Amino acid sequence: MHRNIFYVAKREYLERVRSRVFRITIILVPVGVGVLLVIGRAGNSKMDVLPNLAIVSNNPALAVQVKAALLEGDEASPQASPPTIIVDAPETADSIAQIDREVASHQIAGYLRLETQPGQIQPEATWVSTNSVDFIRKSQMQSAVRRGLMSQALLDHGASADRVHQLMKTVPLQTMQVKNGVVSKSDSERSFTGAYALIVVLYAAVLFYGINIARSVVEEKTSRIFEVLLSTVSSDDLMMGKLIGVGAASLTQMAVWAAILVIGAGSQLAVAYGIHGLSSLGVTTSELVFFAVFFLLGFYLYSALGAALGSTVGSEQDIQQFSLILISPLVVSVILLPYVMANPSSTASVVLSLIPPFTPIILYMRICAQTPPAWQIALGIALLAATVWAMIWLTARIYRIGVLMYGKRATLPEIVRWLRYS
Amino acid sequence: MEVLVELQQVSKSYEEKVAVHDLSLKIEAGSMFGLLGPNGAGKTSTIRMMIGITRPDSGAVTLFGKPFSAAALQRVGYLPEERGLYRKMKVIEQLVFLAELRGLGAAEATRRAKEWCEKLQIADVMNKKTEELSKGMQQKIQFISTLLHDPELIIMDEPFSGLDPVNAVLLQDTLLELKKQGNAVLFSTHRMDQVEKLCDSICLINKGAAVLSGGMREIKSRYERNHLVVQYEGSDGFLGHPAIESYKTYADRVEIRLKPHANAQDLLRTAAATSTITKFELAEPSLEEIFIETVGGRADA
Repeated sequence: MHRNIFYVAKREYLERVRSRVFRITIILVPVGVGVLLVIGRAGNSKMDVLPNLAIVSNNPALAVQVKAALLEGDEASPQASPPTIIVDAPETADSIAQIDREVASHQIAGYLRLETQPGQIQPEATWVSTNSVDFIRKSQMQSAVRRGLMSQALLDHGASADRVHQLMKTVPLQTMQVKNGVVSKSDSERSFTGAYALIVVLYAAVLFYGINIARSVVEEKTSRIFEVLLSTVSSDDLMMGKLIGVGAASLTQMAVWAAILVIGAGSQLAVAYGIHGLSSLGVTTSELVFFAVFFLLGFYLYSALGAALGSTVGSEQDIQQFSLILISPLVVSVILLPYVMANPSSTASVVLSLIPPFTPIILYMRICAQTPPAWQIALGIALLAATVWAMIWLTARIYRIGVLMYGKRATLPEIVRWLRYS
Repeated sequence: MEVLVELQQVSKSYEEKVAVHDLSLKIEAGSMFGLLGPNGAGKTSTIRMMIGITRPDSGAVTLFGKPFSAAALQRVGYLPEERGLYRKMKVIEQLVFLAELRGLGAAEATRRAKEWCEKLQIADVMNKKTEELSKGMQQKIQFISTLLHDPELIIMDEPFSGLDPVNAVLLQDTLLELKKQGNAVLFSTHRMDQVEKLCDSICLINKGAAVLSGGMREIKSRYERNHLVVQYEGSDGFLGHPAIESYKTYADRVEIRLKPHANAQDLLRTAAATSTITKFELAEPSLEEIFIETVGGRADA
């Protein structure tokens, strides 16, 4: 009889893969993500780039130091082509008028005016530009002025120019991580890329396929095909086939996207944006394996929940209301992520990661943050798998008794009663 | 004759409602069986227990001589009262899918589906999606899907409801042909007049319990021919004759129920004396009348 699982799965798979939505999303999502990445990178680098500008000051020595500080900028990401910085010191009314014209005609982005009053250590600083507010530039300017002042003071006290340069440089900081009792180099920002990728992918897949499967169950109920089906197929086989078919469709989609990601990450275009293959995104092989495991289990848990939801409601409109319940454990997981990331081995994190609806995201995050004991990983996966199985079993029963309940939405006590009668 | 289905003292209750109570019946190969009764009498509940959608609270169900098993369902064709199709699927794919679930190979299923579609004159829509088809065509596809795997037992719940007259005759002829080939057909309906001439044996149920069951001829012979149809021109004075218990006047005739053991010949002579009689037929009672007579005023219909 298990051949029927295959036939049901095949039907569900083909129906989805042949649908227009599938064909559109399989192309549009990678294109969209690519465009967002490129825009994001471009936007980011634009923010950091210092524009051409002028420094206007009555204190030529300070102006020169501030220019040096601005050009030095952040040593971590040196600019490919340094901006032109005009120093106008000491200024005259004519030279200011000339610079004002250059700002107005966008030849320079703006000018920094530094006026030192006798007896005052801090100059009066003004940034004049056509843009009203620019927070990043503001802090850049403030830091440069501060460093310029300090350099100037050090020089005044007789320090050598080279010594001053060494003193003002940013000190590099290395981050190390204790994993499995071994201290290793960590990259605190990168190691969560994989976790976040899983969360985004799982969230999207659940939202799309969980609701999709709920809808397909409701369609079978409202079109009354399910009584025909149940007269030949057991509801267990039917549910199992449904989940396998829909799962296969989503895996097909993932596989295509993964291929695009691997090819895309290694491509010339990616290199141009500073990505050199997958490893530069901070994804390790073991993380990829766990990703697959938790994605599949999480996907099946939420699909089974979606199917159960579809079996208990009478119409498509009802699904919309209940979809919030479906995704709420995911939302809670996301809210709790920062805590788990900071305290991966706290009691609360351990307990949470073993509660099946939270396991896919929380346990995976713990694995990425700091490898938990093997027994916790094993227990989490076992509990999750058992829950998936129990969910499918229960859903199959609810689906079957759905035959007896026409149209109306069942309440929980009603379902329990019907379960006894079927 | 081989017994395909047997229910022995089967009962089933939902909540406070008793759906089926202590029901026993047998369906033999090569026969047409009518499961008859008003709406809500427990017909669908009975069928669902036959094919394992629900389990009886007590009693036994035997399918093809063995206790119920899912494998036996491949030999059953069931057309539920509430029937549907996948709207987005192509007709041919749908038929093949449903046949595969019932154990047919894809190639054989495709061949038979084409054969049936040609037979029922819908070969030109085989590659269309179900949602593009008229209701009459969808009904034909539902018949085909029920019969494609050549089931030995065909169960039809209210098969004629919503059927246009052309399809009704088509279905009737198809089923008669299948019966001739040795398949058994179970009709479940509240429209007793529609299956009266088709059924070899029946089970009349009311409020979940059998009120009458057995061979159609045998049941009918138990009832006196006290149903009289008269067409006449002239005086209706004969309607006062002492042999008449009650009568109903229709546009072109009068239907008369005679008193027990009444003398119909005497009534004919009286009527002929005052009117011109064009038709005088002493008919056996219809199933509907038998049902009403048996349950009295207790029917929920």
